[in-house]
Amino acid sequence: METNKTSILILDDEPIVSKRLKPSLEKKGYEVETFTHSADALARVNERRFDIVVTDLKMEGVDGMQILTEVKEKYPDTEVIVITGFATMATAKESFNKGVFDFLAKPFKLGEIAEVIAKAENKIKNNQ
Amino acid sequence: MKNLLQQIRRIFQKKEEETIPFKLLFNNFKKSLELNNQILDLIADANDKLSGDYIFDQQYIRNCCRYLADMMRELVVIVNHLTSQKYLGLFVSFHRIEEEIEVILDSGILLPETDLVLPYSVINRDLFDAVGGKNGHIAEIGSLLDLNIPAGFAITTAAFALFWKHNDLKTTVAEYMHKWEKETISTSEAAESIKQAIINSEVPKDLVLAIQKAADLTTGTHAETEKCFAVRSSALGEDEIASFAGQYLSRLNVPVENICNSYKEVVASLYNPGAMEYRKGKDYRDAEVVMSVACQLMIPAKVSGVMYTYDPNQPENETLLISSAWGLGAPIVSGEIPTDYFVLDRSPPHKAQEVDIVHKEQRMILVGCSGTEMAPVMKGQRNRPSLQDDQLKELAGIGLKLEQHFKKPQDIEFAVDNEGRMTILQSRPLTLQQKQAPRACDLNDLDSKYTILLRGKGGAAVEGIAAGPVWLYNGQRDLDDFPLGSILVARYASPQLARVIHKAAGFITDIGSTTGHLATVAREFRVPALFNLEDASKTLIDGQTITLDTECLTIYEGLVKELHYFGLQEEPIEGLYEYRLLRRILKKIEPLNLVDPTDQNFRPKYCQTYHDLTRFIHEKAVETIIHLNYYHTHHKDTQAGQLIWDYPLDLVLIDVGGGIEGAHEKGIQPEQIISVPMQSLIRGMSYPGMWDMAPANVDFSSFMSSLTRTAETGHSSPEDIGRNLAVISAEYTNINFRLGYHFTVIDAYISENVLDNHIYFRFSGGVTETTRRARRTRLLFEILSHYDFFCELHGDIIVARLKRMDKKNMLDRLFLLGLLVGFTRQLDVKMVNDDRIRTYFEQIKSIMEDNHGNKQDQYSYTR
Repeated sequence: METNKTSILILDDEPIVSKRLKPSLEKKGYEVETFTHSADALARVNERRFDIVVTDLKMEGVDGMQILTEVKEKYPDTEVIVITGFATMATAKESFNKGVFDFLAKPFKLGEIAEVIAKAENKIKNNQ
Repeated sequence: MKNLLQQIRRIFQKKEEETIPFKLLFNNFKKSLELNNQILDLIADANDKLSGDYIFDQQYIRNCCRYLADMMRELVVIVNHLTSQKYLGLFVSFHRIEEEIEVILDSGILLPETDLVLPYSVINRDLFDAVGGKNGHIAEIGSLLDLNIPAGFAITTAAFALFWKHNDLKTTVAEYMHKWEKETISTSEAAESIKQAIINSEVPKDLVLAIQKAADLTTGTHAETEKCFAVRSSALGEDEIASFAGQYLSRLNVPVENICNSYKEVVASLYNPGAMEYRKGKDYRDAEVVMSVACQLMIPAKVSGVMYTYDPNQPENETLLISSAWGLGAPIVSGEIPTDYFVLDRSPPHKAQEVDIVHKEQRMILVGCSGTEMAPVMKGQRNRPSLQDDQLKELAGIGLKLEQHFKKPQDIEFAVDNEGRMTILQSRPLTLQQKQAPRACDLNDLDSKYTILLRGKGGAAVEGIAAGPVWLYNGQRDLDDFPLGSILVARYASPQLARVIHKAAGFITDIGSTTGHLATVAREFRVPALFNLEDASKTLIDGQTITLDTECLTIYEGLVKELHYFGLQEEPIEGLYEYRLLRRILKKIEPLNLVDPTDQNFRPKYCQTYHDLTRFIHEKAVETIIHLNYYHTHHKDTQAGQLIWDYPLDLVLIDVGGGIEGAHEKGIQPEQIISVPMQSLIRGMSYPGMWDMAPANVDFSSFMSSLTRTAETGHSSPEDIGRNLAVISAEYTNINFRLGYHFTVIDAYISENVLDNHIYFRFSGGVTETTRRARRTRLLFEILSHYDFFCELHGDIIVARLKRMDKKNMLDRLFLLGLLVGFTRQLDVKMVNDDRIRTYFEQIKSIMEDNHGNKQDQYSYTR
C-alpha cells in the first residue's frame, strides 16, 4: 500500500504489545505492521523500508539488538525505538552506540510511546 | 534510605556497648517499615496498570509478583526477628498466598473456593470467576439495576472442579485434546469422545445434595407445575466477549430431579466443536476452560422476545430492534417461528420507525414439568401485536439501561408473564456487523471534521470513548437527577460521584487522582474517565453534546460518529489475557481484610492477601517496640514513658539518645522533650484549636477510637494494643500513629547538615465515608504540595517526602505535620462539602504564617 503515512513496524514476542499499540497508533494516522517473531519481522524489513521500528530487546532467536543492527545497516534513516523490561546500563550503552533513537522501559503508557514516536517522526521529517 | 540507616547507626554509635539490643531491634523495626512502604507502593502501582492506559506484558506481571514475594518474605523474617519468632504462622500464610499466586501465574486462574452452589442474591463482581459471565451478569442486573430476573442459583466453578476431580476428567480430556492438537483425530471425534466421557461421569453426592437444596429454596412456595428450571451454560468469559455467544447448550423446563443430568449435558457442551475451534484461535488457557451453570426458574412466558440496542448492520441509524412472539423464547431465538418486528428510536420517547406485525400460528409452551412443545396460538391473537406500545417503551428504557451498565451494545432476551411483568433472561454484548466498520486508521482526520473543545490536558483514569450530553455537577445538584447516558463534568473527582456509575457514559473532572476511589470504581465498570483537566467545568456547557476520547486526551464538540461506533466495537480490555491475569492476581494481593487489631481474627492464619500480611506485621512491630521498652525492663540506654498532656492522643515515647531530659517516673511532660524534630511536631499538634475537644458524634465513634486514648482500657495488660509510638533522639523522630485501619507514619531527621535532612510522611485511613475521606486526602495533598513536599497519591494514601532543606524550614514543616495530625482527626467529620477544602487550606496557611513569626503557644519554649 503506497501512502505518505509514516510507517511503523512493531516487534514484541508478547502479542499484547502489538495488540494494544496497533489500533492506538493507527488512530493517530500511522501505518502499522506488527510481528511477534523476530525472524518474520526481519524478513519483512528485507522486503521494505519502515520509517520507524519499535522492537523488544529480549526475544527468542534474533534479539532486539540484532534487529537494531540490521535495520540501521540497511536503512540508516530508519529510527529504532527499543522497548524493554530489562534495561541495563550496558544494553542502553550498546544500543545508543548502534544508533537507537530512544529506549522505553516496559510497562509504559500509550501516551509515552506516542510521544517518543512523534519525536522520531519529527526527526525524520527534519532530515528530509 | 540507606543514608538514613547510616544516620541512625551514627546516632547509636555513641553508646555502642549498651545499645546493641535496641539498635538491632530498632534497625529491624525501621527495615520493616521500609519494606512495608515499598510493598504498598508496588501494589498501588500494579493496580494502576489496570486503567488501560498502560501497556504491560506477562513478564511485568511475573516480575511484579517476584519482587513482592521477595519483599514479603524478608518482611516476615524481620518481624520474627523483632518478636523473637513469635509469628511463625506468618510464614505459613505467606507461602499459602505465594503458592496461590503461582498457580494463577502458571494457569491463568485459581478457581475460587466457594460453595458448590450460590443463590443469585449473593453474587457480585468478585464472584465472577466462581459463577461465570451469564450468572454474574443476570445477578447483577437484578441487584444493581433493579430489574426483574428469574429466581435462580449458580452451580459454581468450585462444583465444576469437584465434578472434574471426582471423575478424573482432567486426564481423559487432556488425552483427547492432545490427539486433537496432534491432528491424529478430527475436531468432531475429539468433541464427541470428550462429551461422552462427561455425560457418562457421576455427579458427586455433595453436589447432588447442594443442587437439591438450592432448587428447593428457589422454588419455595411455587406451585408444583411451576417448579421447573432452565439449565444454561455460564462459562468463564462467555457473555463478556461478544463472539463467544451461543457456543454452549441450554436445557429448558427441567424438573428438579433432572437438573444433574442436564448439568452434565451443559458442561459437556464446553467441548462442542465450534467452541473448541473458537478457543483455539483466542487467548484462552486450558485452565480457563471451566463452566459454571445457571439454574433459573422457568417463567411461563406469555410473550418472549429479543432486543438489540443497536441495529447491528446500520448502527448509525440510532435505532433499537425488538422481535417478539407469543410463548417461550427458544423458537424466537433460533428463528423457527415468525416474529413481530419493531424498530424504535434509541432516544426517548422511542418513537416507532417501523412496525411489522406477522401472522403467528405457533407458540412454544411448557408441558407440565417435562420439557416444551409447540402449540397453536389462539385464533384471536394470531394477528395481534405481541407487544403493546407501553411495553415497547419500557423495553427500550431497559435496553439503554443495560447497555449503559455493560458499556457495549446489548443482545437481550426477555419474557413477559401473564401479569404483564417484564423479566430479563439474558443480556450479552452484541456484535455490530457493519460493512464499513470504522477502523482505527480511519480516525486520524477527525480534527479537520470536528471542533476540538479541549485537548492534551489531564490524565486518563479509564481509557475509552464516550459520547453524550454534558451534565455539570457543581456540588448543589441532586445526583439522583443524573440522566442516563450523560457525561458527568465536575470540579473534583469526588468519590460520591460513583453513585451515578450505572448511568454515566463518562467522567470528566478538573482535579482528581487517576488512582483515587472514583477512578477505581470507573475502571471496574469501564466508564471512560479523564481527570485533571484544570478548567473543563468552566469550558464545557451543561447539556452540550460532546465526544470524549480519553486515550487521545481529546474532547470534541458534538457526536463524533466515527469514534463513537469505533468505540462500540472495540474489544473490551477483559478480552486480553494479561488484564484478566493481573486482575486475578491482585485479588490475592490488594484487598485488606484484616482491619481491626482487637478482632479475634487478627491473626496470621487469617491473612488472605499480602496487604493483610503487611497490616498485621506493622501492628505487631509497633506493639513489640512499645512492649519491650515501655512495659518491660527498659534498655539501659533508652528511656520510655507516656506523654502527659491534655490532648486525646496516647503516645508512648522511646528516647534512644538525647531526646528527653529529666526524670519521668509518672510520664513525660511536653517540656521535657528536647528532641528537635519532636518539639516542632508537638508544637504543631498542640496548637490551640487543632484538637476538637468536644465529644464525638456517635456516628463517628469508631473513627474517634482510632486516634484517641486507649488509657480507659487500663494499663494492666502489657499486650494492650492500639498505642501510638514515637522513637526519638536529639535529631531524629519516628512516629507511628493509628488512624482508622492504617498507620500514619512520620520519619524525620533534622540537623545543621542540610544534606542529611529529611521528612517522610505517610498518611492513610480514617473510617468515615469515602467522600469525606477523599476531601481530606485532597486537602492534605494541596497543603503538603504547597509547602514543597513531593507528594504521591495511592488511592487515599498520601506519601509526602521532603529532603535537603535547611533546619529552620524543615522544622517549620514538621510543625505543619503536627498541625495536620491534630487537625485531620476532626477533618473527616467536618469535610461536609468541597468548599471546606479551600477554607481549611486558608486557615492552615494563616497559622503557618503566624508560626513563621514565631508566635508562641502553650507548649512552645525557648532553649
